[in-house]
Amino acid sequence: MSKLSEKAAALLSEGTVGLVIGYEQGTHGTRPKFCRKAEDAATLILNDKCLNNIGGYLTKPELIGSGKVAVTATLAVMRTVVQLTAEHQLTDGNVIVLALDGDEVLQMASIDEIKKWLAAHPEDLSDENKALLSKLKALSREERWNFWINEMNKCIKCYACRASCPLCYCNRCIVEVNCPQWIKPWAAPLSNMEWQINRVMHMAGRCVGCGACDRACPVHIPLRLLTISMAGDIKEAFGVASGTGNIDGNVLSSFKPDDKENFIH
Amino acid sequence: MSKIGVFVCHCGENIAATVDCEKVANTAAKFDGVEFATDYKYMCSDPGQNLIKNAIKEHHLDGVVVASCSPRMHEPTFRKACSEAGLNPFMCEVANIREHCSWVHEKGDATTQKAIDIVRGLVEKVSRDHPLESIHVPITKKALVIGGGIAGIQASLDIANAGHKVILIERDPSIGGHMSQLSETFPTLDCSQCILTPRMVEVAQHPNITLYTYAELEKLEGFIGNFKATIRLKAKSIDEDVCTGCGTCTTKCPTKKIPSEFNQGLGNRTAIYVPFPQAVPNKPVIDKDHCLHYQKGVCGLCEKVCPTHAIHFGQDDSFITEDVGAVVLATGFNVLNTDFFPEYGYGKYKDVITGLQFERLASASGPTSGEIRRPSDGKIPQKIVFIACAGSRDPAKGIPYCSKICCMYTAKHAMLYQHKVHDGESTVFYMDIRAAGKNYEEFVRRAIEEDGVNYVRGRVARVYEKDGKLIVKGVDTLLGAKPVEIEADMVVLATAGVANAGAEELAQKLHVSYDPYHFFAEAHPKLRPVETNTAGIYLAGACQAPKDIPDTVAAASGAAVKVAGLFSQPDLVREPIIAKVNRMPPPVFSTCVGCFMCETACPYNAIEREEIKDRRSGKVIKTIAKVNPGLCQGCGTCVSFCRSKSIDMQGFSNEEMFAEVQALLED
Amino acid sequence: MSETNQEFEPRIVAFVCNWCTYAGADLAGTSRLKYATNVKIVRFPCTGRIDFMLLLKAFEEGADGIIVSGCHPNDCHYTSGNFHARRRWTVFRGLLDFMGIDVRRIHFTWVSAAEGAKWADIVNETVADIRALGPYDEYKSIASNFEKEAAK
Repeated sequence: MSKLSEKAAALLSEGTVGLVIGYEQGTHGTRPKFCRKAEDAATLILNDKCLNNIGGYLTKPELIGSGKVAVTATLAVMRTVVQLTAEHQLTDGNVIVLALDGDEVLQMASIDEIKKWLAAHPEDLSDENKALLSKLKALSREERWNFWINEMNKCIKCYACRASCPLCYCNRCIVEVNCPQWIKPWAAPLSNMEWQINRVMHMAGRCVGCGACDRACPVHIPLRLLTISMAGDIKEAFGVASGTGNIDGNVLSSFKPDDKENFIH
Repeated sequence: MSKIGVFVCHCGENIAATVDCEKVANTAAKFDGVEFATDYKYMCSDPGQNLIKNAIKEHHLDGVVVASCSPRMHEPTFRKACSEAGLNPFMCEVANIREHCSWVHEKGDATTQKAIDIVRGLVEKVSRDHPLESIHVPITKKALVIGGGIAGIQASLDIANAGHKVILIERDPSIGGHMSQLSETFPTLDCSQCILTPRMVEVAQHPNITLYTYAELEKLEGFIGNFKATIRLKAKSIDEDVCTGCGTCTTKCPTKKIPSEFNQGLGNRTAIYVPFPQAVPNKPVIDKDHCLHYQKGVCGLCEKVCPTHAIHFGQDDSFITEDVGAVVLATGFNVLNTDFFPEYGYGKYKDVITGLQFERLASASGPTSGEIRRPSDGKIPQKIVFIACAGSRDPAKGIPYCSKICCMYTAKHAMLYQHKVHDGESTVFYMDIRAAGKNYEEFVRRAIEEDGVNYVRGRVARVYEKDGKLIVKGVDTLLGAKPVEIEADMVVLATAGVANAGAEELAQKLHVSYDPYHFFAEAHPKLRPVETNTAGIYLAGACQAPKDIPDTVAAASGAAVKVAGLFSQPDLVREPIIAKVNRMPPPVFSTCVGCFMCETACPYNAIEREEIKDRRSGKVIKTIAKVNPGLCQGCGTCVSFCRSKSIDMQGFSNEEMFAEVQALLED
Repeated sequence: MSETNQEFEPRIVAFVCNWCTYAGADLAGTSRLKYATNVKIVRFPCTGRIDFMLLLKAFEEGADGIIVSGCHPNDCHYTSGNFHARRRWTVFRGLLDFMGIDVRRIHFTWVSAAEGAKWADIVNETVADIRALGPYDEYKSIASNFEKEAAK
C-alpha cells in the first residue's frame, strides 16, 4: 500500500473522516474514487495524470453528507477548497486535504495551511496556453470575432462546462432564469456566446484555473482561454490573483478608489 | 393584459413646440397593453392631474405613464395623483420627453419618434411594475452622542430640549473637550470656560440626558432607528454615588508628578484626580497606570482618608447596552504634537510649544495663572515667535489641507501676549492669512494695527538654540525672500488639527466612511454635511474636519435637528426602492446559495445572513443573504453582482429594465 | 460605403445613473443645448445597478452603440456603486474585446449633474463615432438568423 493509501485508510478507520475522495486508475486514464471504508483506499493514486477536479464533489451534500471529508488534492483541487471556503460553501476544518510532498503525505486541515502551501507552489500558465493566448491576442478584432463565432457555432448547449466546474454550484443558474429570459435556451451562436460571457464573468476572481470546463467540452471549444484571458486582465488591472480564496470580497464586489482604467472619459 | 394609461403633456409650448404630442398619444394608444392615451396642455396642473385621476377610475387603469418633464421634477406629483385615484403610486412612471427630448432637439419627425420610443420603453416597464408599499421601520427615540466636547454638549442639549432621551458618552473623566482648555476665544475674546461651563452643568442636570464619562463605545449593531450600543464604562475606582467630590483624596495622593493632560503637560496632577476644577462630573478617577496601589500594591492613602468610603480598588470595567435610534459622532480632533517638526525643535527645546499649550499658559486656570511664562525657566518671554501652518498645507508632511482655525488662534495668541506683556515683541510667520468669518478679518487687523503684532509672510526653515535664545530663521517673501532671523525667547507652533486618536477604529466600528486623514466623511459635501452615509449616524464638529467653535456648534445643532426630525415621526417611512433576496416555497426557500460575496458590494452593510431552520428540529437547513430594508438605500450594486440573479430590485427590477431596453430599440 | 454611412442614423442606448448623468442630461435640456436624436436614455439608480447583460441585450435588439455613464469617482450618491461598476466594466470590456466584440461601440463616461454641456458633447461624439463605424451588422447577423425565427 502506498503511503497515501495508508494515510487515507487510517483517517477512515480512526473515524476522523467518513469519506475520502481521491483518484484511482481507470480504463481510460484516472477516475474519481470514493472511499468509505479503509480497504477502499488501497487503489488510491495521486500523480500528474489526475486532472479531474474532484473538488467539485465537495459541494454536493447528497454525496458527502454532513461529516468531515478528506480529499486527495492536486494544486487545482487545493485552490478549489480554498475558494469554496471563502465563498462559504465549505466550513474551514471540515475538509482534510491530503497532498504529496515528494514521497511524503501531507495532511492539511486548515485553510491557512493550504494557503501557505499554495503560496509556496505557484503554478504558471503552461507554455501551450501562453502561446495560444498570445496568438489569439495578436489577431485583428475581426479575426478574433470570426474565431469565436466559429467556436460558438459548434456549441450544443450541453452545459458540460458548467457541470464540470467546481465553482458552478448555484442551485439555479442564470440560464434557468426566465423572468426575464436573459439567455435564450436553444443552441445558436448568439445565445451560446451570451452563455459563455456570463459563465466567464461569473468566474471573475474565482476561477481556479483547473481547466475542467475545457476538458469537459464535447465539441472541444478552448473554453479555458476565456477564463485565462480574464484572469490575466484582472491580475494586470487590480493585482488580484483569481481563485486564491480572497476573503475580502470578490474582485467585482470590492474596489480601490484609485483603481486604474483607460477607457472611461 | 395590463391596462395602461398614457398621458402626454405639452408643457405649454415647451414640449409641443418640437414634439407632435398628439401623434405621440395616438401612437401610444396602439401599444400593447395601453387602454387609454391622451395629450393635454399642462399635465401637472390641477385639471391635468384630474384628467389622470378620472382616467384611472373610468378605465380601471393599472399603470400610468406620464410623458412630460424629468421624473426628477414631477414624479412625486404624478405618483401622488395616482395614489389619490386609488392606484399604487409605484405603478406610475414618468417619460422624460422635455429635458431629454423636446428641449434638446429641433422640431421634426426624429424628435417626435424619439418621444414615442421613450414612451414605449416606459409602457413596457410599467406593465412589469409591481405595486409597492412604503417601508415602515420603528424608531427607538433615544440618541447616543459620542464625545462630550462642545459639539457633543450642544447636540445633546438640543436633542434633549426637543424632548428626547440622550445618552452622552465621553472617554475622558470630564466633559468639556478642547474648548475647556482654551483661554479666550476669537474674535470676541470672551473667556472660553465662562461660556462653556454653564452648558456642561446643564448637561449634567438635564433630566433627558444620561451622562457616562470615562466611557467608550465598545460596539454598535443594528441600523437607523434600531441601533444597539454596547458601552464600556472604564473603572474609575470610586463609587460615584457615594463620592461627594470633597477633594480630600486628591490633596493627599502622594503621586503628584504626573504630567496633566488638561494642561498639555505644562503642569502636574495626582494619580487620583479631577482633570480641572470645573470638571463635570466633579468626582475623581484613579489613573491605574500611575497609582502606587495598582502599580506596586502599596499606599491606599486615598482609601484611608475618604470620609465616605467611596474608593473601590477592586472595581472592573463594566459594560452596558443601550437601544438607540440615532448616533451623533462628536469625537473632535487633536493637534499634531509629536516630534513632527525636527526642524523646529519641538520636544527638544522646552520653549518651543504648541498652540494648545499656549492656551493653557494664557488661561487664568492654567499652570501660570494666566501669566505668559516660558516652560524652561518661568521667565516672561520678551520676544515671541508664532509659526502658522506648522504641518498644515504641507503635502510633503502628509497634511495638504488647511487646518482652518490656526490663522485665527495665532492672531488671538499674539494679541493676548501683547495684552499681557506690554513691552514684548511678537512676530507671526504665516503663509496666507485666512480670516473668513464674521468679524474675523477685523480681528486680525486689530492684532496687527492696534496691538502691533509683527506679521512676516514666509516660512520658517529652522529653529535652534544659541546662548539661551531660540534662533528662528525664516524668510520674508514680501521683501523678495529676504532672510529674517529672530532671537526669540519662546516659539509657538500653530500645529495642524488632525483626526482624534482612534477615529479610524471608531469609524470601522460604526461603518461610517472616513477620508484619508481619518476625519469622518459626510454623506454629501454640500447638501448633507452633517449626515454620514450610514443612515441614522450624524456628524457634529471637528471629527469631520478642523472647525472653529461657531461652526462646530452650528454643525452640532444641525445634527441634532436631523435626529429630532427622525424622532418626530411615528416610524421611519422609506421608499421601497430597495433590493430583495428572492424567497420561494420549500425545499428551495431561495435560489441564493449563500456565497455572501455580495456582502462587500454593499456600501451600507445591508446584507445580512438569514438562517432558514427546520420548524420542528430547529436545525439550520440553509443560510441565505437577506437585505435589511432599514439599511438598503437602493443602489442595486448587489443586484447586478449576483450570479444566480437571486437579488432583485424593487422599482428597477431585472424584468423591468430588460423590457425597457428591448422596447426602446423596437422599430 | 461612405455615402451610405452619411445617411446612416445609428441607434444608441445610454445607460445612466439617476443622480449624476441623468441629472446632467436634464441640465443639458434646461440649458437648451442641442444634440443628436439618436441616443435614448435608460435611467438606473446607480451605475452599480447596470447589469452587463443589458448591454448585450441592447446589441441583440439592434443597438449600434451604447453609452454607459455615471457619477465621477468619489461622487457616487451611494458612495461606491461607480467604483464597483468601474471594475465590472474593466473586466467585461476586456472579455468582450478578447471575444472580438467591437468595444469601440461602447462609450464609458463620467458625467456629473453639473456637466450638461459634457453630456451634449458625449452624445454628439458618440453618434459621430458610431456613424463612422457603420451599423453593427456583425452582431446583428448572429442575432437575426436563428434566434429571430425560433422566437416566432
